[in-house]
Amino acid sequence: MNLTSAAQYEPIGPYRGLVEAYGFVPNLFTGQQELPRVIEGEQRLIHAILVREGRLSRQLKDSLVRTVASARGSDYCRALHAQKRPRDTEEDPALLAFAHKLANYAPCVCKHDIVALRAVGFDDSIILECILTVALGQLLCTLATALRPNLDAGLPVLASIESSRLPEPVEWFAANGPYLQPSPPAASNFQPYAFFREEFGFVPKLFQEQTLRPDVVDAESQALAQILIPEDLLSRIVKEQIVLVISAANLNTYCVAVQSQILATLGVPLEDSDQIVEDHRCAGTSPAEVALLDEVRKLASWSAGSEGRFETARLRAHGFSEPQILEAIAMAAVANFLNTVQAGLGAVPDFPPRRVFTRKDLYPSASPSRLTFDATPPDDHDATAVARVQGGDTDAFEELVRRHSRRVFGTLAGLLGNLDDARDLTQDVFLKAFENIGHFQGRSKFSTWLTSIAINTGTELLRQRKPSESLDQGEEGDEFRPRQIQSWADDPEQVLAASQRSQLVREGVLRLPEKYRVVVLLRDLNQLSTEEAATALGLSIPAVKARLLRGRLMLRESLAPHFISVEKRSPDAQLR
Amino acid sequence: MLSCAEFLVEFGDYLEGAASPEVRARLEEHVHECKTCQVIVDTTRKTIRFVTDCDSFTLTADQVEPIVKDVMSRIREKKP
Repeated sequence: MNLTSAAQYEPIGPYRGLVEAYGFVPNLFTGQQELPRVIEGEQRLIHAILVREGRLSRQLKDSLVRTVASARGSDYCRALHAQKRPRDTEEDPALLAFAHKLANYAPCVCKHDIVALRAVGFDDSIILECILTVALGQLLCTLATALRPNLDAGLPVLASIESSRLPEPVEWFAANGPYLQPSPPAASNFQPYAFFREEFGFVPKLFQEQTLRPDVVDAESQALAQILIPEDLLSRIVKEQIVLVISAANLNTYCVAVQSQILATLGVPLEDSDQIVEDHRCAGTSPAEVALLDEVRKLASWSAGSEGRFETARLRAHGFSEPQILEAIAMAAVANFLNTVQAGLGAVPDFPPRRVFTRKDLYPSASPSRLTFDATPPDDHDATAVARVQGGDTDAFEELVRRHSRRVFGTLAGLLGNLDDARDLTQDVFLKAFENIGHFQGRSKFSTWLTSIAINTGTELLRQRKPSESLDQGEEGDEFRPRQIQSWADDPEQVLAASQRSQLVREGVLRLPEKYRVVVLLRDLNQLSTEEAATALGLSIPAVKARLLRGRLMLRESLAPHFISVEKRSPDAQLR
Repeated sequence: MLSCAEFLVEFGDYLEGAASPEVRARLEEHVHECKTCQVIVDTTRKTIRFVTDCDSFTLTADQVEPIVKDVMSRIREKKP
């Protein structure tokens, strides 16, 4: 598809795109007839994603929207996208499972999900179309949740279903996008990019990563032009704040970072946006705006109604007109759309995020059986000494330094590779720990807390020296295949002296990429449990396990040449 | 029987003794039949043993006390 021509197609005309999509104009849209420009924006997206022929059949796209509607408990959207014809193609379980996860657990979608789809044969253009369809489903469900339209004549009456909430613990993976292969760059005169530069001052990566479908990027820009930009009803700032509140409720680090920056260009200080993200009720906005943000927050796709019903009467009582309320609803719907696209693509923030959502935000009131970073207080033999230091007994800290200096030093030495640096930083780590011990609440072991300070201190120094490497990088999608598959001597300790072995291990560990090295250090050298290492590193347990195995196998590769048994050489051995 | 690639997916939990009994049985069946994975299991265990025993990243006892002394004197200096 040509990246310059997509922006030039003709206007669809009132309701024409909707008739093409559904065969009639659904009540969902006639309910917004006071705001034709908003309907125009919405039908642009519907036409580009649902109607225009892509790689997925219309039937499958309807199934994907129904998956979202089931997740959000929208009987209206389930009926609107019910199968009209007998199925002539098989629904694909992998795509539907992915849609289910993206609709239900968007913050937990990660690169592994995309790798799994590729593994069963889907290419990036199909995956992108699936993500866009799920995002469109979120937009439609948001509208239906707020507007509560009557079922259109002729649509099937389906048995009502409960919206599915978070039934089980879900692993949180650190952001490790973008998930799709780099898209072809857009031509310099690609019209949507001109729009983004004009309105936002830059082209968000979220849109740059969709250029496999320039027609959709164009529809998105036109939807924003119709819904976000005009200021005849709500101000641009209020609408950007709606997107910010929705993004925060959806735990979307990327969208929060971008929205805060856009609001800054409109004159809203970053600190004000930070406060809206944490709690908009304390952000110093007017009571009417607080009410508006209260209500739209209920429409966040992650909330899915758990914060109560959207109350138009409350907004009317605060002086908002019907068109203003409709515009706020449409803005929330577009925000959910963009949040979902981002969660599916894993677009990385265009600006350093001031608020990074983590697993703690996912389960703020986790049950004791669910493992979290703030798990139930463990039995910590340092607890007494820590309590004494917190009570003002400085001398009690001496015992903690004596007890843990080897571990802290070992972590830093392995991380930095320089013993003098490690010795200096070991002191810094203990000083930091002493200064901050008042904040230590005993939710993890003191030693784990100390280890996390050591890692942060060490990586900070590494960042200054090698800014390109990051501990936060996610796992590679490709599996690690061992290459050295020859037997070692039965008793390799007899092959080399202990000092030589230690030297080899030291060199091998230091050659590991940082993200694997640090996990091997914590688990195998410092003997932390997997849970403790995950806590210290702020990683999920599966991420720690994956990095540990990769690190151990890489280390094995580097040690192998020194320990291969001459008698046992088996050159033909290979993985099956 | 499992392929080597499938075995490697579960290998981490197998090493840690964290695989479920059913998974463990399937992994052991594979290892029993596959010389290559026998080598990988054996050499990875030896690698872990080397790392665990490695003293390259530790302080000797006589190196600990100077650190304790320096840290505590810096803390006491800062104290009003």
